[in-house]
Amino acid sequence: MGFLNILRKQRAREREMRILILGLDNAGKTTLMKKFLDEPTDSIEPTLGFDIKTVHFKGFQLNLWDVGGQKSLRSYWKNYFESTDALIWVVDSSDRERLTQCAEELKKLLLEERLSGASLLVLANKSDVPTALDVSRIAETLDLQSIRSHHWKIFSCCALSGERLIQAMTWLCDDVGSRIFILD
Amino acid sequence: MKAEQQQSIPPGSATFPSQMPRPPPVTEQAITTEAELLSKSHITPNDVLALPGITQGFLCSPSANIYNIEFTKFQIRDLDTQHILFEIAKPEEQENEETPAESARYVRYRFAPNFLKLKTVGASVEFKVGEIPIHHFRMIERHFFKDRLLKCFDFEFGFCIPNSRNNCEHIYNFPQLSQQLMDDMINNPNETRSDSFYFVDNKLVMHNKADYSYDA
Repeated sequence: MGFLNILRKQRAREREMRILILGLDNAGKTTLMKKFLDEPTDSIEPTLGFDIKTVHFKGFQLNLWDVGGQKSLRSYWKNYFESTDALIWVVDSSDRERLTQCAEELKKLLLEERLSGASLLVLANKSDVPTALDVSRIAETLDLQSIRSHHWKIFSCCALSGERLIQAMTWLCDDVGSRIFILD
Repeated sequence: MKAEQQQSIPPGSATFPSQMPRPPPVTEQAITTEAELLSKSHITPNDVLALPGITQGFLCSPSANIYNIEFTKFQIRDLDTQHILFEIAKPEEQENEETPAESARYVRYRFAPNFLKLKTVGASVEFKVGEIPIHHFRMIERHFFKDRLLKCFDFEFGFCIPNSRNNCEHIYNFPQLSQQLMDDMINNPNETRSDSFYFVDNKLVMHNKADYSYDA
């Protein structure tokens, strides 16, 4: 609901932003995006390609690119780096076993030249699951403190309830907006 | 009368026309005709953007789709009420059919008049692609009522993973139409039309058409 209220208040001024949403499979990328856009989240299947949404938010046209996270698809991620303004890295906070793998994949992305300068939003998803790791532990494992190449911020969230999602997206849009539209 | 006036002006003189002539609008691309495009070896995005209106026929044959791009689902939803207004999905068992027939490229939609009063809609398509990686996949969709351009979508999907199934939803504010135009569209069924052009590497590979009525 929150999203639509914001949407209605926006002036339709076209400024485009390309946002790439990545993360390991089953992190909740598609669910987060659907929740953000007030779409039902009860029947989501693994993304076997991409899922794109274009929408107006905070005076921007957001082009959201959610690309499947299965291992066989990750080698194709590089085809989506071009012109990316922001990267959303989605983490399953309850998947303790693969957190190291998750950190490694993120590290690889941050070395990519075509992503240099992109703002990084880390979403520690599934924070409502009882076995979920605390957001500070996740930030530590992902070694976020050492990132110098990107503006970054981490939020814990829950894709199913949409908790803190608007807040996180607002930070991202503000950060990208202040950087790329500074000459407006 | 105009012709008479023209003839009465002797050569080598200057006059002040009582009404300022209006030259055709300056466009970024030269205006082109369908016949011109059909004679080309391949058709580019700029070519179709320069067309003055809806085309009479298809600008490529179904066999131009060498990438096996296949649309499997269309959906339109109303974001203000969360209702799905329209959904058409291709049944799974038909999925391995041969090249689509000519008739599959033309769709006729029928909606109720209040469809034209929607505010925020999400239009989504789902499609799958074959085993050839696709670079620079771009869609241009132009909607006309008679000869008037209502809306033009121009979107670059970019890369498509081999054998992938992909989805794209555009959420947009429905164009605000005047009551007069809405009445015209309702009273002239199937005269609202769209051309959907799909390009790979700037070459036209698919062309679909639709028309719409709002009197249901």
